[in-house]
Amino acid sequence: MAEPRGERPGQSGQGAARRTAPAKAGPSASRWRSLGPAVPGLLFLAIVFLLPVFGVFLRGVTDPVFGLQNYAELLGSGTFYDILGNTFLVAILVTIFSILLGFPVAWLITIAPGRIAKLVLAVVLLSMWTSLLARTYAWLVLLQNSGIINKMLVGSGLIDQPIALVNNLTGIVIGMTYIMIPFIVLPLQTSMAAIDKTVLQAASVCGARAPVVFTRVFLPLVTPGLTAGGTMVFVMSLGYYVTPALLGSTKNMMLAEYIVQQVLNYLEWGIGGAAAVILLVITLAIYLPVLGFQRNTAST
Amino acid sequence: MLLDLKAMGRFRYVLYGSNILVGLFLLLPIVFIILLSFGSSPWLAFPPPDWTLRWYEKLFSEPTWFTAIMNSFKIGIAVTVMSVLLGVPASFAVVRGRFPGRDALAALSTTPLIVPLIIIGIGLYGASLRYGLSGTFTAFALSHLVLALPFSVICTTNALRSFDENIEKAAIVCGATRAQALWRVTLPAIMPGIGAGALFSFLISWDEVVLAIFMSSPSLQTLPVKMWSALRLDLSPVIAAAAALMVALTLVLLLAAAMIQWFRRPPVTNADQ
Repeated sequence: MAEPRGERPGQSGQGAARRTAPAKAGPSASRWRSLGPAVPGLLFLAIVFLLPVFGVFLRGVTDPVFGLQNYAELLGSGTFYDILGNTFLVAILVTIFSILLGFPVAWLITIAPGRIAKLVLAVVLLSMWTSLLARTYAWLVLLQNSGIINKMLVGSGLIDQPIALVNNLTGIVIGMTYIMIPFIVLPLQTSMAAIDKTVLQAASVCGARAPVVFTRVFLPLVTPGLTAGGTMVFVMSLGYYVTPALLGSTKNMMLAEYIVQQVLNYLEWGIGGAAAVILLVITLAIYLPVLGFQRNTAST
Repeated sequence: MLLDLKAMGRFRYVLYGSNILVGLFLLLPIVFIILLSFGSSPWLAFPPPDWTLRWYEKLFSEPTWFTAIMNSFKIGIAVTVMSVLLGVPASFAVVRGRFPGRDALAALSTTPLIVPLIIIGIGLYGASLRYGLSGTFTAFALSHLVLALPFSVICTTNALRSFDENIEKAAIVCGATRAQALWRVTLPAIMPGIGAGALFSFLISWDEVVLAIFMSSPSLQTLPVKMWSALRLDLSPVIAAAAALMVALTLVLLLAAAMIQWFRRPPVTNADQ
């Protein structure tokens, strides 16, 4: 699905700098001609992506009648805040756990000898590109009360009774952390690979011990990757549907599932549209500053 | 020392150890699903009492599953072809265009990856209901293309950026027409990028479930939609076989992508211009 999203818009700036000067700064008509090849793709995106998405937003203020009553209803209901709360809770937990698990992986890929690094990277990429539904199904089976994780835990004497690992918050967090780890590893690894070793050496030559070098030099230097990866995971988690719907329960309903429920089950297009706008606004409000920040640091 | 394994002392074992644990965590569901799909227990007992192919037999003999697999293939291929046909020309405009707002075009082509899938999903659902496309092949292919096109554009754009345009100009100076230069010099040179874009397009379509749920109808389902609706009933091992099939295809395509990378090695390009 969505692969490293954060870095892309920044790439265009690089091309602009490298672009060779046009042979002649011709009249603007001929400049527009170079847009030509993109027209079919643009038309496609306009009709099949922009218009339908715009339609959702429009329904939020026109369905059943024109006005902001859908927003008023959403923002006035306690359930909606519970759902927002669940959504943020899951996104925060998933972000924390995927950073904790992804950090050592990115680290080893950066510094291990070629073969080991490639092997670890291959495992990460394989998991990232393996069918989302297949992996979610696997977790659903693994985490059952009669599943092997519970059997192993009971068998090892750690617990007496199987514990509920699925159809609750635990299930959602395990399943989604699993899916998000690659999205932390890849940007973090890019940041780590860009660090100049001599800076760390300088710090230790100057007397800093490893923990100090780690917190005062290494961590600050990988912050861009951590921010990019963390934001991506957080934002993707906010809008996730399939995994929480399968591994959670109605008690842990998240925003995406709520939108689907409103539209498919209750045919409440207005409420669904308004909730979709809220989701998109939150997404962009978190995403855009980070994207802008990245572009600025990339150009300096 | 933090970037040098040998200088890390004992800490390197901590790093190796944590990587082994995370690696096992990442591989666990994939390996598990494959083993499960060959297990004989209908109750998904693990380890399986015996090994069998009957879930695969069921997958390929039961019409609903088999047609879902075929639909997934057909839609995936249609998406791949369209994604290349629309994406490659668009990439040329993004890299070489001289029109105002070129960066905006580059940004727009990747926007579908930022907007939460569920919003695109209900948007397309509403539109397909309105235009009577609900549950059609067209609706499936077009919706998957929304997500596949960015990958085609990104892969081709990257390849085109690292291709030295002077080589194309040299061909023209040597007497090739613009079209000949494009067809016989530039396109072959960026083929790995186009190929990677095509592979990813297929994988995206093959695995797409959120948009597919909204586009599907009882008469037209893809494999993920069929899995999704089967999952709502029970955890039958046939689903494990379907999941394993999806994993297998991913593996094959990723290997193909690795091969493309391999062939890319002798660079035709002049990256450090």
